[in-house]
Amino acid sequence: MLKKYIEIYRECIKISISTAMTYRFNFILDNFIMLVSNTLFPLVTLLIYGSGAEFPNWSLYEVLLIQAVFTMSTGVANIFFSGVLWATMRHIIEGSLEIALIKPVNCLFFLIASTVEFSSLSLFLGGGVMFAIALSHIGPVSILMVLQFLVLFMSGVCVMMGISLIMAATSFKWVGNSRLPEIFDSIKYFGRYPQNIFHKTISGFTSFIIPVAMIGYFPAAALLGEANGTAFIAILPCFVFTMGGIFLFRHMIRLYEGVGG
Amino acid sequence: MNFLVKKLKVIKAVALVTYKEWSAYRTHSMVSIFVGPVYFIVQYYIWTAVYSGKTSLNGMELSEMLTYFGITTLIGYITMDFADWNLQMLVRTGKFLTFALRPIHHRFFALSQKIGHRILGLFFEFIPCLFIFGFIFKINLSPANYGWTIISVVLAFLMNLYLNYTIGLTAFWLVQATGVRRVYLLLQSIFSGGLVPLVFFPKILQKLLLFLPFQYVSYVPAMVFIGRYTLAGVSIPIPQIVGLQAIAVVVTALISEIVYRSSMKRFTGVGA
Repeated sequence: MLKKYIEIYRECIKISISTAMTYRFNFILDNFIMLVSNTLFPLVTLLIYGSGAEFPNWSLYEVLLIQAVFTMSTGVANIFFSGVLWATMRHIIEGSLEIALIKPVNCLFFLIASTVEFSSLSLFLGGGVMFAIALSHIGPVSILMVLQFLVLFMSGVCVMMGISLIMAATSFKWVGNSRLPEIFDSIKYFGRYPQNIFHKTISGFTSFIIPVAMIGYFPAAALLGEANGTAFIAILPCFVFTMGGIFLFRHMIRLYEGVGG
Repeated sequence: MNFLVKKLKVIKAVALVTYKEWSAYRTHSMVSIFVGPVYFIVQYYIWTAVYSGKTSLNGMELSEMLTYFGITTLIGYITMDFADWNLQMLVRTGKFLTFALRPIHHRFFALSQKIGHRILGLFFEFIPCLFIFGFIFKINLSPANYGWTIISVVLAFLMNLYLNYTIGLTAFWLVQATGVRRVYLLLQSIFSGGLVPLVFFPKILQKLLLFLPFQYVSYVPAMVFIGRYTLAGVSIPIPQIVGLQAIAVVVTALISEIVYRSSMKRFTGVGA
């Protein structure tokens, strides 16, 4: 069973690469733009520090580390499961979800596998370069810190997965709304900055209700030696959030009614 | 005179149809009522933290900075445009042929569509967010001069259309023009002043931006609203910068027309 799913996933990746190669110039340009936009991502932070101002008690490279982790997490999410929203939305609009439903594999798995998108690879790589630069300017990092970082980073990726699935599930009812990602993007925006600049109510919301602080802030805090109990307690809502996304998507699939695509 | 009346009738007809068409998806526009204020809250905390212990940064006070972000958001709802996406989709799918056969210029059709679409934006994005920014966040939303601000926003509306339309025309050469669109949108988002006021950029870049069209989409109307314009250390009186904006719009429209005519020479269609 597992072997079958791995084989399907591998085929889907091959198809994704072949599709990208059909419009090679566009694919290369997309990746280039991702890379450039990625290097410009911390622009506001650079301009703030370039003006002689700062976030109180945060050095430039500490803030850049948060934003690098956020970028890497976004890159991973974009490659592996962000496409599920657009695929679901397209199927709902065209009434063709039955094509996915009649396949002898789990529908959610099929939608995720068939929407692997490599044009965001440069986003992850660019984030990685920014991460390395920021890390080289902060103090020594212990193995424990790295382990804490990996656990928190994976939790952040789970949050991104949960967000993608909740958006996809919402598209069953809110048909054809291409602005759905904007709602979650605006909430994710809180995760790009040090959480102590926000009001406690907001940082509580971003840590435990929709835990977007886990996408950038908490993993970076682990590498800075500032991961406190809050960061580890916030892991639990991250997994609840992800499971909630899976449950909601499967629930919407059960409610789906079609007449043959 | 008849020519003008005919044009106005076309604008009215197309704008009305577009308004009705998009009214079916009004919740699409109403997403902005959530997204705009959320982004503003983030900006509020970022800049409140950055200004702690400082009264002014690059000549802007905190209250001006918050007004700047509030007003650029609101202006964005008025000037928002996707003529580039629409045009490249028409070219790629071959549907442009049906427009090429019509007795009106497609750019004029796109302008009329945009007017209808943005009237919807006025009701479902601009006005609700205006109240939220004004009454909840207590942002000063009174322009320094109503007349110049309205003229500048109208010019920004046209500028955004002409720039986007010209980018959309690249589809006649590339077919799949999403890459070019993304490059342009990236440059525009940074250099129009939407992310941060342009006075925060390095001086050399500010000098370059003086000669690029991006500032006329967002930064110029926002500064006209605030009542003073400075870039690269150059302060320009409001009437003059609005005049420069008008000249930039005319030049962009001419460039757009040249590219349009060139693209029509490349265009071939079969079966309307």
